[in-house]
Amino acid sequence: MSEPKHSYKKLILNGIFSENPVFRLALSLCPAVAVTTSVKNGFLMGAAVLFVMTMVNITVSLLRSFINPKVRIPAYILIIATYVSITDMVMAAYSRAAYKEMGLYIQLIVVFAIIISRAELFASRNKVVPSAVDGIGMGLGFLGALVLVGAVRELIGKGSLVGIQILGKDPLLIAVLPTGGFFAIGLLMGLFNWIDMKYFGGKPDSGGGHH
Amino acid sequence: MGEILKITLNLVLICAAAGVILSATWAMTDPVRVAKEAQEREQALKALIPDAESIKPVKDVKIADKDGIIYRADKAGRPLGYVVLSYGRGYASFIRVLVAVDLTGKVTGIDILGHGETPGLGDQIDQSWFKDRFKGKVLEGLVVVKTESTREIQAISGATISSRGVTRAVKDAVEILKAEREKGI
Repeated sequence: MSEPKHSYKKLILNGIFSENPVFRLALSLCPAVAVTTSVKNGFLMGAAVLFVMTMVNITVSLLRSFINPKVRIPAYILIIATYVSITDMVMAAYSRAAYKEMGLYIQLIVVFAIIISRAELFASRNKVVPSAVDGIGMGLGFLGALVLVGAVRELIGKGSLVGIQILGKDPLLIAVLPTGGFFAIGLLMGLFNWIDMKYFGGKPDSGGGHH
Repeated sequence: MGEILKITLNLVLICAAAGVILSATWAMTDPVRVAKEAQEREQALKALIPDAESIKPVKDVKIADKDGIIYRADKAGRPLGYVVLSYGRGYASFIRVLVAVDLTGKVTGIDILGHGETPGLGDQIDQSWFKDRFKGKVLEGLVVVKTESTREIQAISGATISSRGVTRAVKDAVEILKAEREKGI
């Protein structure tokens, strides 16, 4: 992964499919279970992560020769926390409506494994532009996964999609409870692996064990 | 020894830079946030008692160990009703509620100002169909039940504790308001 040349298209697709943070790397599953009770929640969280991850990757890449390797982990956490706090403060002041929806989640982003993992494995070893693209790809993969899990849980748990009623009222409430989050993610992860094996010849154990 | 100094300096510099960026952002955004929150509260108060010409704080009270406020709504110099800023402990947070009460002690409406309840379950307390369940309730009706009821407060399925938190806040508000009015406000 640390070759100097990167195809941007490949980097984006890498984040969305072959190294999808949720379905393949199984990172940041805690928020993926906690917030994906509906499509809207999943989307808002994913969008915030996409922004923070891209900015963190850019910053870590810019500072990669400045940060002393021995204190790189605290340095990365500081950078992540700074961006998260900025996002939180700016949204609290300038976009109240969105903040009312997302305020509950934003501060959680500080501890997302996927962000520090990309800072360590990619941004600290690559130039700025590929790092930004990697952040966008991984962010999109995370966003897509959360929206997908949110869609499954909202449809089964509340009978609606993006707030619009489709089935009857509350068909199977367990889907929006935390238990249902594990079910939904497990089943989707299985589906992802099955598609990958069947059509792309991927090995099921290529994800998960991410150092 | 030189190594440890270098590492320390490295981290200190990063911390200092983060501190400068954060305080600058805070200085720029915080006044805007405070102003908008005050404006939102004003709008929420007005929406609860739209006929009022003025809604002014008249008394600070303690509700659930937090700082509640009683507002009096006046029209043409005579009181129309009261609004109480109240608090109730929910599932994961303290829920901040505005409770509008008329002169007879009946709840005329509530609004949720803020909460940190579970997304998808507890956060339904902010939906109008739930807030409307408090309209027209007197003290005796402010009890959470799990069956269909119009006399009492029907809990949200999957969010009984959040429903109880809101009901507690409303009930405390009505009780404290009653006590304060007997003392005269």
